[in-house]
Amino acid sequence: MKPAPSTIAEAKNARRPARGFWSDTWRRFATKKLSLLALVFVGLMGCIALASPFIVGVKPVVCKYKGRIYFPCLSYFHERLENPIFVKELRKKYSVNLRKKDPDSWAIWPLVRQDPFNRVKEDEWEDQPGNPTGSDGKPSRYNIMGTNQAGVDVFAQLVHGTKIALLVGFVSTGISAAIGMTLGALAGYLGGWVDMFVSRMIEVMMCIPTLVLILALIAVVDKATIWHTMVVIGVTSWTGIARLTRAEFLKLRNLEYVIAARALGAGRLRVMFRHVLPNALAPVLVPISFGIASAILVENALSFLGFGSPPPNASWGTLLNAGQRSPDMWWLIFFPGIAIFLTVMAYNLIGEGLQEATDPRLREGAK
Amino acid sequence: MARNSYFFAVSLVVALTGCGSSTPDKKVEKDPSETVKPDAGTIKEATNSSEKNKEEPAKAFALGDMIKPFDPPILEDLNAKVQWVDRPVIDAAPLLRERQAKEKQLATVEEALKLHNDSPQDNERILSALGRLPSEEGKEVNWDATINRHSFGDVNSTNPILASSTAEFDISGLINFGLFTFDWAFTPFASKDTVVSWQSSKDGLFDKVVLRDDLTWSDGRPITAHDVEYSFKVILTEAVPVKAQRSGTDKLKWVKAYDDHTVVFFHQESLVTNEWNLNFSVIPKHVYEKTIAKDPLLNRHPDHVNLENNPVTGGPYTIKSRTRGQEIVLERRESYYMHGGKQVRDKPYFKTVRFRIRDNPSVALLGLKAGDIDEMIIIPEQWRTQTTDDEFYKTNTKAYALEWTEFHFLWNCQSDLFSDKRVRKAMSFAFDHKEMIEKLRYGLDEPCNGIFNSTSKWAPQPAPKPYQQDQDKAEELLDEAGWTDTDGDGIRDKTINGKKVKFAFTVLVSNKQDRIDICTLLKQSLDQIGIKCDVKPLEFTVLIDKMTKHDFQAAFGGWGTGTDPDTSDNIWGTGQERNYGQYSNPEVDKLFIAGRHEFDPEKRAEIYRKIHLLLYEDQPYTWLFFQNAYYGFNKSLRGYVFSPRGPYHYSPGFSSIWKPVVP
Repeated sequence: MKPAPSTIAEAKNARRPARGFWSDTWRRFATKKLSLLALVFVGLMGCIALASPFIVGVKPVVCKYKGRIYFPCLSYFHERLENPIFVKELRKKYSVNLRKKDPDSWAIWPLVRQDPFNRVKEDEWEDQPGNPTGSDGKPSRYNIMGTNQAGVDVFAQLVHGTKIALLVGFVSTGISAAIGMTLGALAGYLGGWVDMFVSRMIEVMMCIPTLVLILALIAVVDKATIWHTMVVIGVTSWTGIARLTRAEFLKLRNLEYVIAARALGAGRLRVMFRHVLPNALAPVLVPISFGIASAILVENALSFLGFGSPPPNASWGTLLNAGQRSPDMWWLIFFPGIAIFLTVMAYNLIGEGLQEATDPRLREGAK
Repeated sequence: MARNSYFFAVSLVVALTGCGSSTPDKKVEKDPSETVKPDAGTIKEATNSSEKNKEEPAKAFALGDMIKPFDPPILEDLNAKVQWVDRPVIDAAPLLRERQAKEKQLATVEEALKLHNDSPQDNERILSALGRLPSEEGKEVNWDATINRHSFGDVNSTNPILASSTAEFDISGLINFGLFTFDWAFTPFASKDTVVSWQSSKDGLFDKVVLRDDLTWSDGRPITAHDVEYSFKVILTEAVPVKAQRSGTDKLKWVKAYDDHTVVFFHQESLVTNEWNLNFSVIPKHVYEKTIAKDPLLNRHPDHVNLENNPVTGGPYTIKSRTRGQEIVLERRESYYMHGGKQVRDKPYFKTVRFRIRDNPSVALLGLKAGDIDEMIIIPEQWRTQTTDDEFYKTNTKAYALEWTEFHFLWNCQSDLFSDKRVRKAMSFAFDHKEMIEKLRYGLDEPCNGIFNSTSKWAPQPAPKPYQQDQDKAEELLDEAGWTDTDGDGIRDKTINGKKVKFAFTVLVSNKQDRIDICTLLKQSLDQIGIKCDVKPLEFTVLIDKMTKHDFQAAFGGWGTGTDPDTSDNIWGTGQERNYGQYSNPEVDKLFIAGRHEFDPEKRAEIYRKIHLLLYEDQPYTWLFFQNAYYGFNKSLRGYVFSPRGPYHYSPGFSSIWKPVVP
């Protein structure tokens, strides 16, 4: 029961800036404590991923060597970021060789001096013992979450694995969203044989068990890296998004504003992507959020099965795989298990929050 | 032919005796599908069964079409022409009993059962007390006992001539009929259970064997010399998919049965290795004769399908039941040891032998602890951590022994990177051997310095030292070979044929974590001296395929030992089928040929010592370690004796194992 404005001027004065769809969604989303918490958690994970070399590693965050300043820890992001001088002169063993080769050097080390790929050896640090191997690697002062069979620190793998988990989630879901939305938009808007073709394609894709398809695709690649895994997950999981987009487009394409746009002479692509897509986006965001969660799960499943990124990799699934081989090393299952659980749950909570915030039928107090 | 060559890649030839020991006498590829002493594959079988339906015989069936036509002389002419020399016909059990009578028993059975295997001395005691044969009368033996053996994989076929994996050899070892075998020192002999006499001609070109007349197949028909001749022809028939058995057997010129009991083997050339080629499995002629031409793949004809589950066997056991992927149950065959109402051969100790198939070592270990499995291979990780508590020792004990199974990094000697000997040596110097032995192998295994174990008579004395990590030397050698970092990107490079090549390569490894860990250590070691190395885990079949095609730069692999050093020729000889790394040294080739022709044992050993040293100098492999045999045994088992091929793959092998009567 809105009172009708009596005059235009009055209406102008009375107008609060109308809330747009997105800010409205955000307002509703923000009322859900759990979803908000999940969002904070994901943000925190992002921070951990970005800061992983500063948190745990065996390469100095900053060091001064022979009069110059270096940031060797960045090589955890990409190996080319490590100055070749450290290969040639230090053999990448900063802990021992930095002082030895240049007594005037100084370095600021990461908070925890453990490596996600290699065992910390006995002679590496003066004030820190070597990592134990086998089932001796219980959580201890130096390995707060224990070590795996080969003596590699679990905490270091977990922290550096965050990078992989986040990347996999965003990149592969990004790919599947791009494919799914494009195909869905085409099918829904154009209809006819395009719709027919795309819909059948979706059905065919859905018939193939995804994990089997992924294993087959990964076997084809010669030097499979984590990026291949992401692409493969991406190109196999777009069907849900495509279907939703298609349905939205079917609904929207006959609305007045679309017809108006067409009547004004807007091209097909312009109508599809400028006018229809933004309005179809909200329901699609939900499966994207769930998709991130499932992509993370799939990547961990692949690593668990031994088909993940090439070793040594710091994926959480790899840790689970190691844990499965030695049932008494509970820390190999417990910590990565918790990490996977929390992350996947966070994305699912976000998805749920989005769903409730964007779908008027689910709004609290609606009706 | 491509298919064949890949099965040759895991080739082994079996010789089986009546006492039922499976004895593949060739080098065995160390298959990753089994974790510790993986002879040859289980993954392979999965591939096979999927291929089965598509598979068509390569050629129409023509019995013995791979044998060159030859017209054997009549026996009288042969006897007149050649001088026969008697060769040993031995029963393996008394042989072992004799050996054990000389050995001092280091502990009583009760003491040994209480021991925890924590030191080499305890291991000695356990083996000494529990590894004994029972008395000859066998009053203490529980003749109705069942043994539950562990198998890492199912068998693809129960037909002995098709066997190629360890699982298949373990089964066929118990159901198969064979004439020859060898003992723990790899001395070949004819088995007394099946053979009356064995004679070789003085010139080494002929072997004459007289079979016993009290041998019967499980269907009651007699086993004759004609079965031996027929089996030879079937094995060398191209349309029949014989995998392992063909190698060795194909060196024979002809096999001729002169009457029901006399069979003569004709050789191409007088070689010291001829006696190893006599080993092949024998199948019943009367069973296969009529149907084999219709179905040379031996898996489609209704009779053949039936024979897969109920084969007509010549060995001490028959197959009682078989559940795919679960278990295979064998039962003792009375007609094997009884003939005409009289006992004519040793009665096998177990009434029932059940193979439980568990492809996961953790699951298998649970089975051992629960008593579902009586014996299994333990992986080092389990040896050190999961088999040390009272829960394990409540019903089990464990033992280990040296096994001549070595593991190595294999360099492709024809690739740009590794064609230079200095580079290969640099790799051996760069690798952190100490970390591997002490941390990744838990200090349980011995370092390896080359193709022969130092306890073998073929190894040079004193043996060359195993490599130790020395990165300064490695860098020196790489600089010398022209691999320097010219563009300052941290990775060594070299200009080859006008093109700059980076020192970056991929090391292939089978998909087993303990092996991947060793490759990761290589990656780390090389990373420190400016070499980029990627680790690529592969399924075993894919790995073998790539290696056979030489489509790799480096790989991690392992070899079990062959019985005769000549079996290494097809690993090191130029252009040989298992020479995956395409190593070629004319001197080594010559020495292998000389070794085959040298009949004086001491001079022959000298030749192989030279080969060992030449290979050590060339470092076509970076040899890493010898992997011991680790076994878990139920406390009720007795009589396990280890050879350099483990406790089963020699004679008496499995047939010396027994269970005592429970008082």
